[in-house]
Amino acid sequence: MTNNKTDIIISVFLLCFSGIMINDASNIRDLGFEGMKADAWPRVVLWLLVIISSVMLGKSYLLFKTEGHVGNNNFKVNFAKFKNALICFGMFIFFLSTLDYLGMLLGGIVFVFGLLTFLGGFSPNLIFKHLTISILSIGFMWMIFTFGLRVMLPEGEILRVW
Amino acid sequence: MFDIILQAGASVLLDPLTLGLMGIGTLAGLLAGAIPGFTIAMGVILTLPFTFGMSPIQGLATMMGVFVGGLSGGLMSGMLTGIPGTPSSVATTFDGFPMVRSGKPGLALGLGLWSSFFGGMISAVILVALAPQLAFLGLEFGPWDYFALIVFALTITVSLSGDNMVKGLIAGCLGLFAACVGEDEINGVARFAFGSDHIRQGFAFLPVLIGLFAFSQLLSDVEDNVKAKSPLMAKTADPVRVEHRKAIALVIKNWINLFRSSFIGIFTGILPAAGGSISNILAYDQAKKAAPNRDEFGKGAVDGIIAPESANNATAGGALIMMMALGIPGDIVTAVMLGALMIHNIIPGPSFIQDEPLLAYGVFIAFFAAHFFMVGLQAFSLRLFLLVTRIPMYVLASVILAYCAIGVFALHNITFDIWVMFGFGVIGYFMRKLGFPLAPMILGVVLGKLAELNIARAIGTSDDYFLFVTRPWSLFFILMAIVSIIFPFYQNANKDSMFSKLYVPICMMVLSFPLFLMGSPVRMIIAAILLLAGSYFVYKRTTTLQVT
Repeated sequence: MTNNKTDIIISVFLLCFSGIMINDASNIRDLGFEGMKADAWPRVVLWLLVIISSVMLGKSYLLFKTEGHVGNNNFKVNFAKFKNALICFGMFIFFLSTLDYLGMLLGGIVFVFGLLTFLGGFSPNLIFKHLTISILSIGFMWMIFTFGLRVMLPEGEILRVW
Repeated sequence: MFDIILQAGASVLLDPLTLGLMGIGTLAGLLAGAIPGFTIAMGVILTLPFTFGMSPIQGLATMMGVFVGGLSGGLMSGMLTGIPGTPSSVATTFDGFPMVRSGKPGLALGLGLWSSFFGGMISAVILVALAPQLAFLGLEFGPWDYFALIVFALTITVSLSGDNMVKGLIAGCLGLFAACVGEDEINGVARFAFGSDHIRQGFAFLPVLIGLFAFSQLLSDVEDNVKAKSPLMAKTADPVRVEHRKAIALVIKNWINLFRSSFIGIFTGILPAAGGSISNILAYDQAKKAAPNRDEFGKGAVDGIIAPESANNATAGGALIMMMALGIPGDIVTAVMLGALMIHNIIPGPSFIQDEPLLAYGVFIAFFAAHFFMVGLQAFSLRLFLLVTRIPMYVLASVILAYCAIGVFALHNITFDIWVMFGFGVIGYFMRKLGFPLAPMILGVVLGKLAELNIARAIGTSDDYFLFVTRPWSLFFILMAIVSIIFPFYQNANKDSMFSKLYVPICMMVLSFPLFLMGSPVRMIIAAILLLAGSYFVYKRTTTLQVT
């Protein structure tokens, strides 16, 4: 699934991430109490991450040098592979960004309907089916949480006006 | 003690609501376990939001139902279609599927069902007997010992997480780091908040868990366009009438296999992070080695069904022993249960059974009772399962993704939690794609705060760092951690090599040392046995090596 080149990139990314976080650890306030400081444990974990990431970098670099690049390099193929996941990400970001306006009920219905239609297809028959599924499923869950579990789900600007 | 058990029993068994919730949980678990692509952990995680409004015992009883149901649900799809519903029922398909194909589906399902039941019952008895004793032992632990135990739990997760130990270690570190974000428990100082008030509160356990496990799993499930649009299972099965009487008779007749496999399951469950996915294969392998008719294995052998199914249900009991007695999760599912307890303001540990006996014994009884629900609901869940398998994955995934968002919001009523779930979902998805195991990360998140708290207490109590290696229990767990780190090298080593032959006996000898230091007569006897046996095997194997 993964290849040496990808592992090199990941380990470099992890090293950069650890570096940034170690740097940020110096901003953690020291209250001057005795005992373990607030930044001590995160530093231990981050340095451990640096060491292991370096091992991974070294290991994958050696493999890359001896075996060469193994794996698929075609961006189009990889993009196609992640297409559905990217649709889910996009729809979820849209759902979260509009939650204040649409609320959980409407937003949930739009999210499920949009996702079903993007993943399942756009024919009129399917659109009707997807609309029914999204209304029934979100409506049912909304009722369970609102009336059964007494959770105040976001109402949204639109429903508040109504 | 018996009055507590009776009271706890009454709180679970005489409350119709608790019983009803447990029944619904078991049914949900049976379905979640049966559907390939869904796991028991996912079932338990998705049930968690519903338990917020319940009392702790009702919530835990419901999740116990999902746990037990999930362990047995995997056998339905494994036997009827040859595709195991969960990793803990992989070995069940080796003989279950051939038996179904040979025209005995009712018997195959009956064997699986009753082996699960009896395996669960054996582990429930051991759970009730052993958990309080282990908790009593846990009272001896100081912060040094607890920290070492957590290190051991993390290293064993890494060593059992597959071929790539380095990636497992990285995942574990990332989990520990995620637990560091937000205010620290000791001084209340903000860490890695980057000016955000939300991040300052830290990441709540549930959104992280749902994101890492459920969200990322659903994304993986819909990745393939063709698979996402086709029904969950290409192969369908017909409803089957389970042959209960014949199956019970056969399971009882093969009681040695049943007990051996159950004990393998319990032992695997007690080991931190080793779950049903390992125990079912181990038990199957041992049953095959012990059987006089080995050639029948793989063709529908009765023992080949009894072994994995009794082992995977018994693993649950083992994992619960560790969680209830020491507060260390035995596997991902118990890690979620631990999180659920924390949400209800209950923190399991050595004093948990003493402080909250009603709740602790209530959990034991719920585990016991869930097995009866599992047997009773199997036939109904089989019909439901056949209906659910007609639904395409993209429909289920879309609806469950929305449900995850609602469930996570219900935890603290803040939208930030949904963003956290989404963020960790994306991280989890790419970690899966890049070959990182998620179990060490989840355990890191669960145990991170506990590890920090204990190391801080240890340092606060004494500035003598040597206590980590001079205290017997701490030394014992550190040595166990080293043994578990070397374990993958032992697995991959040439079986004829000196290292492979001497690894186990040397481990036995080394582990006897801290047991000697503990001083109590029983432990010294165990230490002496370990030392003598280890020395004997070293002598025997080195002489064999010299001769050859």
